[in-house]
Amino acid sequence: MMNVIRMAVMIIRMVMRTKVALFFTFLFPCIFLFIYAGIFAHGNPNAVAYMFGQVLTLNILGAGFFGLGLQAVMQRERGTLRRYRLAPISSLTIVASNLLANYLIQIPVVGLLLACAMLVFHMPFKFSFIPMILFLLTIGIFAFAGYGLTIASVSNTMQEVQVYNNLAWFALVFLSGISIPLPILPHWIQTVATFLPATYLVSMFQAVMAQSEPISAHMPELMTLIVSGFAGLFIAWKLFRWEKEERIPSKNKLWALSLLIPIFLMGFYMNVYANPSASWGRSYSRMIKQISAVVGSANGAEGKPLEDFESATASQDISNSWKVTSDPGTPAEFSILPAKFSIISPGANGTQHALWVHGVMAGSGPGHVTVEAAGGLSIPATTKTFNGIEFWIRSDGSRPYRFALRNEEAEQESMPEITLTPSSKWESVRIPAPPFAQANAPTNQSTHLIITITPLGPSGNFSVDIDEIKTY
Amino acid sequence: MQANQNESLVRAENLHKRYGNVQALRGISFEIKKGEVFGLLGPNGAGKTTTIEILVGLRQPDEGSVQVCGLDPARESNELKQRIGAALQATVLPDKMSVEEALRLFASFYKQHVPIESLLEDFGLAEKRRAFFDTLSGGQKQRLALALALVNNPELVLLDEPTVGLDAMLRRDIYAIIERFRSEGRTVLLTTHYIEEAERLCDHVAIIDQGRVVAMGTPRELIDRSGKGTRLEVRLAKSVPVDRLKQIDAVLDCHETDGIYMVHAQPATQAIVGLIHFLETDKNTLLDLHIAQPSLEDVFVEMTGRKLSE
Repeated sequence: MMNVIRMAVMIIRMVMRTKVALFFTFLFPCIFLFIYAGIFAHGNPNAVAYMFGQVLTLNILGAGFFGLGLQAVMQRERGTLRRYRLAPISSLTIVASNLLANYLIQIPVVGLLLACAMLVFHMPFKFSFIPMILFLLTIGIFAFAGYGLTIASVSNTMQEVQVYNNLAWFALVFLSGISIPLPILPHWIQTVATFLPATYLVSMFQAVMAQSEPISAHMPELMTLIVSGFAGLFIAWKLFRWEKEERIPSKNKLWALSLLIPIFLMGFYMNVYANPSASWGRSYSRMIKQISAVVGSANGAEGKPLEDFESATASQDISNSWKVTSDPGTPAEFSILPAKFSIISPGANGTQHALWVHGVMAGSGPGHVTVEAAGGLSIPATTKTFNGIEFWIRSDGSRPYRFALRNEEAEQESMPEITLTPSSKWESVRIPAPPFAQANAPTNQSTHLIITITPLGPSGNFSVDIDEIKTY
Repeated sequence: MQANQNESLVRAENLHKRYGNVQALRGISFEIKKGEVFGLLGPNGAGKTTTIEILVGLRQPDEGSVQVCGLDPARESNELKQRIGAALQATVLPDKMSVEEALRLFASFYKQHVPIESLLEDFGLAEKRRAFFDTLSGGQKQRLALALALVNNPELVLLDEPTVGLDAMLRRDIYAIIERFRSEGRTVLLTTHYIEEAERLCDHVAIIDQGRVVAMGTPRELIDRSGKGTRLEVRLAKSVPVDRLKQIDAVLDCHETDGIYMVHAQPATQAIVGLIHFLETDKNTLLDLHIAQPSLEDVFVEMTGRKLSE
């Protein structure tokens, strides 16, 4: 066991000293996170939480196939294993130490990804996620190490392992919901996906991160990955070759096919006894609803105007309807009003006026002072369709803001909200209506909602313009 | 290190090994006594590396038996590895592993090991202790390979072509290290295709060719056993037929290459007197004469009909 630990520590040192390895281990996953969170999720924190699992799975796949599998063949081709073979250590020590090193390297990578997702994209996070993420990471690394090492063990050359790895990688990335969400793919591809191990890892991450589901609800998927991991490592150990001159007999390659058995059984079970498409569809719909809150369209549907800041008494009106609050524990030096409202000119979309919310954020981290500007909105009873609130916003692109809707009368745990970083150009934003606003709204009474604007990010000045608030 | 000279540390009997259609070993047998430097001399492809790989337990013979340090390398591999040290051809370590890290890592695999500091000093690697493997020169890499082979203070050191690819100066460095092994009383098995290496370093040599031992003994015994006698390299003013030179007393054989007559004679003095007499009679002039004792190369040529380098 000590030999395994010593070897693993040495492998980690080697990775830390190799620039290319550092790039692909630490920076590359962050690039993927920014692509997924920034482009696909539109920076929406809840959508980022949904897609975080895809980024983690992508990383685990890369670690298994290219980090572990490719390295195993490279060590054999270079002749490094030949020297280890002369020492009193076994092939199991080599396999186990590589697996352990691969796992230990991934822990800080996941920490880095989490930090980026939380600090840059304000991904919602609970500390209870940490053991679940670590657990799924362990299972994922274990399972895909098995696949990667099995492929390495049946490949004779670097060229051969790269072909196999790329085939497996692309199939898993495009057909398991890692790059393209499964619910928008044809049904037959969704059926194929039930036979791919990465599908289960992605869906479990999404269930935990975006829907706070317990892992215990996914026992069959977990067992499949665990069995695959054991089977893969067993095959890799049995077919381990120290030297490049040792060629694997063709019949031994059939061993690798046994790794498909648990996956085939799982796919069969899912198609016959479960309905994974429905589950994938629910979480996807929820994510899309969150993303679609930001439409960025200048031609939103014509709705009922609620506030356009155009009246002659607009300055007077906003002092009655808009308020600013901050954390109760605000230090004395920040006891001045942290935000102000002003009417500015011109407004958005050819109008004359808009509302300017500006102030100072007192700090971040411990002692952070939350500033929240809130405006009361009244949805008239005569409004026939009410899907949500649409408005125009503008800022300087320097910090994100969270916009949320809540009911004036009721405390709601789940408020529709979006988080985005407005640019210096006016853009249209939508927040979907909370279910309570539609279900509870009596037909003969107005619905009273509050729109809140919370600047996020580091301390300093903040400034955001808002205009043309209306229903859609 | 006291050595009991009669104790046999390695015994290989009738080793056969085939790779596909290639018969690498065809019944190799030899024995290595404790405390001696034993050389396996032969051209590339003779079966030297296969033999050494069987001895360290990396391969199993198709036929024959092996005992190393009283152990069976195939069945008692781990125990054997604790007691032997080996440097195979072209030792490769991870690029970013430093010299000291490599020694410490490999030392940690053994139940006992020599102090790393003394290894760094003994092999001239102290100044390179923090250098990564990919920055070392060929000679430094080879010295590290030898240091790694000694990290567990082994009873038997097996070195597969330790000087291949090194220039003459670096080769002499390695010779000095192997000579130190011998002075310490270590048992060494060395494979080589350099005659100079075998003659200088080995107490006993087995000449192998095409998977067979063609001759075995001390270098002196092998040379003395050679029927070719002393070699006279003769250059004459006028060419003469080789057959006439062969008729001179004590000349065993003669052939001509590029105007130089290679005359094998026993005893040499009688042949030289006869040669001078022949030249006076023939009105010829001796331009140059070199007298050389036969070498292992001559023995190899005599045994196989080919040169080692072929």
